Amino acid sequence: MNAPNIQLQPMIAVRGLSKTYAGGVRALNDINIEVAAGEFLVILGPSGAGKSTLLRCINRLVDPTAGEVLHNGKVINGNRSELRAVRRQFGMVFQQFNLVKRLSVLTNVLTGRLGYRGLWRSLAYSFGEADKRIAIECLARVAMDHKAFQRADTLSGGEQQRVAIARALAQQPTVILADEPVASLDPKIARQVLGYLREAARELGITVLCNLHQVDYAKEFSERIVGMSRGAVVFEGPPAQLTDEILHRIYYREPGEAAQES
Amino acid sequence: MSTAISRPSVEGVLAELAARRRWRLPQIALAAVLVAFLAWCAEGANLRPKAVIEAVPVIAEYFARMAPPKWEFAEVLWKPAAETLYIALWGNVIALLIGLPLGVLAASNVTRSPVLRHSARAVLNLLRSISELIWAVFFVAAVGLGPFPGALALGVNFGGILGRLYAEALENIDPGPVEALEATGASRLQVIAYAMFPQALPQFVTYNLYWFEVGVRSATVLGMVGAGGIGFELVTTIRLFEWRETGVVLLLILAMVTIIDLASTWIRARIY
Repeated sequence: MNAPNIQLQPMIAVRGLSKTYAGGVRALNDINIEVAAGEFLVILGPSGAGKSTLLRCINRLVDPTAGEVLHNGKVINGNRSELRAVRRQFGMVFQQFNLVKRLSVLTNVLTGRLGYRGLWRSLAYSFGEADKRIAIECLARVAMDHKAFQRADTLSGGEQQRVAIARALAQQPTVILADEPVASLDPKIARQVLGYLREAARELGITVLCNLHQVDYAKEFSERIVGMSRGAVVFEGPPAQLTDEILHRIYYREPGEAAQES
Repeated sequence: MSTAISRPSVEGVLAELAARRRWRLPQIALAAVLVAFLAWCAEGANLRPKAVIEAVPVIAEYFARMAPPKWEFAEVLWKPAAETLYIALWGNVIALLIGLPLGVLAASNVTRSPVLRHSARAVLNLLRSISELIWAVFFVAAVGLGPFPGALALGVNFGGILGRLYAEALENIDPGPVEALEATGASRLQVIAYAMFPQALPQFVTYNLYWFEVGVRSATVLGMVGAGGIGFELVTTIRLFEWRETGVVLLLILAMVTIIDLASTWIRARIY
């Protein structure tokens, strides 16, 4: 990959993306977003604004009804083997962590390597030395290496989310999609988790798209904010431009109330 | 958080991983005991792997004799085939009536009294440990020949099995909603009805549909002891060496099981 290309081309480009679920619920309506390589983008909006659907349309956990998503200038299509190769480069972090609770912390992180490995060896639960090293380094990055051999269900929520971030990092991704990663954590742990996410992304040059519904975290951690409301983008800009009037537009609230929130 | 601390710790974790992977004496000993036990049981079960290979052409020979199936024979089979379905259906209804209350009593998160719980478990074990074929012999003696003792036999045995499965389904539900309903001041039975049953219901339905299918297969055997159904025809054709007729009976059973399987998939997709 040559340097000028990176500058010209966004890491992720969403073009005219729409999603209507079976049953007629219109979740996304003509979304257009560009995300630069290495950027920490927060997608802000209330529950039901379409944030989760947007992230899931990017790695095609949900098939969009119309529009397209480009990764490094290349259209992500539904072709199974191509899609797997793209998904490998997209780490995902979930609100409910989605660790396999009965597996050890280390094995959970090693699952981030599965996309790079053949089927037969994986089915023997055997990973190579290089994969183990990557997994442990990712655990060390979120300061969870000391619990590598514990079962995932013995960890607290914040610890589980750190392990989930390590799993995403173990994919050595170009992009991390974080869907409300701190919605079920208390404020102190939430800041810690977002801090790990931002730090890892910054050091490794990973592009992050992070869904949040809390205004204060968005202002604190993002480089740029996309505000969503009812399936449409209603704001795009740096955190400093996020005025009460704009917050009202995102959340349909009185400016005074929104100010209290942030 | 920084990469500086990660270096020494990565080596440490890798070393521990290698140590955990290594087989230690107790594990080797346990594996050896397990293999020895399996070998001893193989002796007891008179396992002869070579005979399996030799058996393949013999069994293939039997199936070859069934071709081509004598389709006209199907005309005689409609009535006993329908009877088999009636037996399987009513066997399951009886099993539900017996298994559900006992299963509820046997579930540790529903029934708090250990005496009640263990009694329910004991009854379920008794019903389950006597196979439906033996129950059928008893019921034929008690109520006479025909499909009725067959349905009773299936109901009693399957009641024991389903009761156990219902209890496990109830024990595996999410305790969160139970706590929430207890906190509203709802009574025990209300909590069972509103927090426990809805969560376990899909499992109940799945088990019942599956055991209906098992019931059709079992009901084909019950005919052997005079408890009605298609089993009587099956055994008769085998005894008379009428292999082409046997083929028709087996195909009909396969068709019934397949239809039930498709139907239960359809029903389950609409219940969740």
